[in-house]
Amino acid sequence: MTDGMYRLVYYSRNHIASDEAMFASNVEEILAKSRVNNQRDGITGALLFNTGCFAQVLEGPLDKIEAAFERIQQDERHGDVSLLALDRIHQRSFPNWAMGFIGASDIHAKRFAAIGSSSGFDASRLSGDEIHSLLKELAIEEEAAA
Amino acid sequence: MNVVTSFPNKSETKAPVVPSFERILALLPRPVLVVQSDGVVIYANACSEVLLGAVVGSDVGQLFADFPLGLASMPGVLPTVVVSRGGESFDAAFAVLGEGHFLIDLRPFVDGSATKSPNDLDELTGLAKRNALLSQLSIALNVGSPSVAIHCLDLDRFKMVNDTLGHAVGDLLLKKVADRLRAACRKGDIVARLGGDEFVVLQRDTKEEGAADTLAARIVDLVGRTYVINGHTINIGASVGVAIGTNPVQARDLLRNGDLALYEAKKAGRGRYRVFESGMDALLLKRREMEIDLRRALALKQFKLNYQPFFNVSTNKVDGFEALLRWEHPIKGTIPPLSFVSLAEENGLIVKIGEWVIRTACIEAMSWPSEMVVAVNVSPLQFKADTLLETVSSALQRSGLPAHRLEIEITEGALLDDTENVIQTLNALRDLGVKISMDDFGTGYSSLSYLQKFPFNKIKIDRSFVAGNDADSEAILRSIASLGTSLGMAITAEGVETAEQLARIRGERCTHVQGYLTGRPMGKDQIPAFLEQIV
Repeated sequence: MTDGMYRLVYYSRNHIASDEAMFASNVEEILAKSRVNNQRDGITGALLFNTGCFAQVLEGPLDKIEAAFERIQQDERHGDVSLLALDRIHQRSFPNWAMGFIGASDIHAKRFAAIGSSSGFDASRLSGDEIHSLLKELAIEEEAAA
Repeated sequence: MNVVTSFPNKSETKAPVVPSFERILALLPRPVLVVQSDGVVIYANACSEVLLGAVVGSDVGQLFADFPLGLASMPGVLPTVVVSRGGESFDAAFAVLGEGHFLIDLRPFVDGSATKSPNDLDELTGLAKRNALLSQLSIALNVGSPSVAIHCLDLDRFKMVNDTLGHAVGDLLLKKVADRLRAACRKGDIVARLGGDEFVVLQRDTKEEGAADTLAARIVDLVGRTYVINGHTINIGASVGVAIGTNPVQARDLLRNGDLALYEAKKAGRGRYRVFESGMDALLLKRREMEIDLRRALALKQFKLNYQPFFNVSTNKVDGFEALLRWEHPIKGTIPPLSFVSLAEENGLIVKIGEWVIRTACIEAMSWPSEMVVAVNVSPLQFKADTLLETVSSALQRSGLPAHRLEIEITEGALLDDTENVIQTLNALRDLGVKISMDDFGTGYSSLSYLQKFPFNKIKIDRSFVAGNDADSEAILRSIASLGTSLGMAITAEGVETAEQLARIRGERCTHVQGYLTGRPMGKDQIPAFLEQIV
């Protein structure tokens, strides 16, 4: 029952100080750490962020997904985590794990463009699946609300 | 008999060369110091120099933050935890060397407790157990560090996880809770599991303003976040009681204060923290005393039922009496239910008390003229206890009271949770022939769906709508009455006190009245005289 590939989708409120440099350094740290962990654990997916929220899709074996989610839950840089989905999937939607800025802020889009391209972030992959496009919409809404 | 007369000659084997004690101490991978009573170091091994920067002539008070100098001069003093200037924690043991010299042996403080043996650890989570926590707490309090705090923690809805997903998942959840608590704490803080879903955190350094509040809030947040275990999404909450230890306080007392604060946190609605305040123990002590009194009251038969008549407005006759519980306390006098029912509901005594009420009411009603009904109030908790049906049927059987002469009054509260089960019990009671009425209608949710879900025999309209002689109250009274009548239910107007109110009610399709005007609550012995006088 717990074999096979799973997908976990959540979004959460960003608690990182709005200070520009602080925000950027935190985002870079998250990218570096997650990249190592997820590569090791065979997890793929996408982490979207803006100053309002984090939104993430994680794909991989259930135990690894659960361990990753537990690390995420213990991170106090965010809160109010809303779990949108935890389902079995037949194949991955994301070939690797990538992270990218998503939102309306041009300044941030430019500032974090490098992170997106270096991690192979492809926003178009977020429109293939209903839950992915929902996640994208929610993320943009949360940016506006913050 | 064998007598040993000679020993093997030791000189035959070469005695091993023992390095000098000086050298052993120098190689010892942990700091050892010898200190004068004034705190000046007169010996420091090599490791002390490396880890603490200690040299002969150093002041021991300068090597550690908050060094308990007084402790070193007390022979046989307990081991204690000291923190070096570099922020490393050591478990310090003291020994008296004589001539005003003391040996201080410092072992690195590992994961909260250097003194713990495997027996001190909780098998499931690897956390400290009660004894380890208590000894660490005593030490922390004795060291006289400015203040430590205790956070007592209880998981909301944990039992439900165990019951629905099984103990294996419950255990995994406890492990994750333990992990999150460790993540929330600082190095040097101790997390302990006292059993079940009871955890305690010992926070060592609360010097900073609001440090205890910050940690408590963090625990409530982190532990309360969603868990994913074996593909299940699990949501629990954490309630936390905080007690801040300022000298002098005993470890056990501090823990108790934390528990009191936890109790308040849970009472305030769970998923939150409360910090202990000195009033809390007095309040709880009072409740505890009352609880003891209440248990005794049941055994000593200090409860009594009074009866208030209800009239049928069309026949102008008494249809029956509502049984009202009184507690005749030998010292405090008569105590009304409002003052003790919530406590009895909290500790479950209400189930026993409720049983007594049903049994007694049935027996006492047997002495009334035939066909007179006795109405009994039933607490929502009695439905949860699952014994209500059994209690009612045995009370009827033993007293010989026909079922149609018993009326069970419930409030909307009974239908709030677990509605399906409650309705099932109500149906079973109705099948026995018992009447069911909805009490205090209009004060709670007044949900019409309740009226649709179960065919009550009667609705009792709350006294507030009878007392108010404004247009609004009247409109509400009229609507409930007409709604009830069209559903085929009898309607009682409660709290009728004046002739004017009675006249109004007659005009509003109410079928029954109950109140001071038509009869005050009375003891069972006064009933015959009352019935005689009204005929």
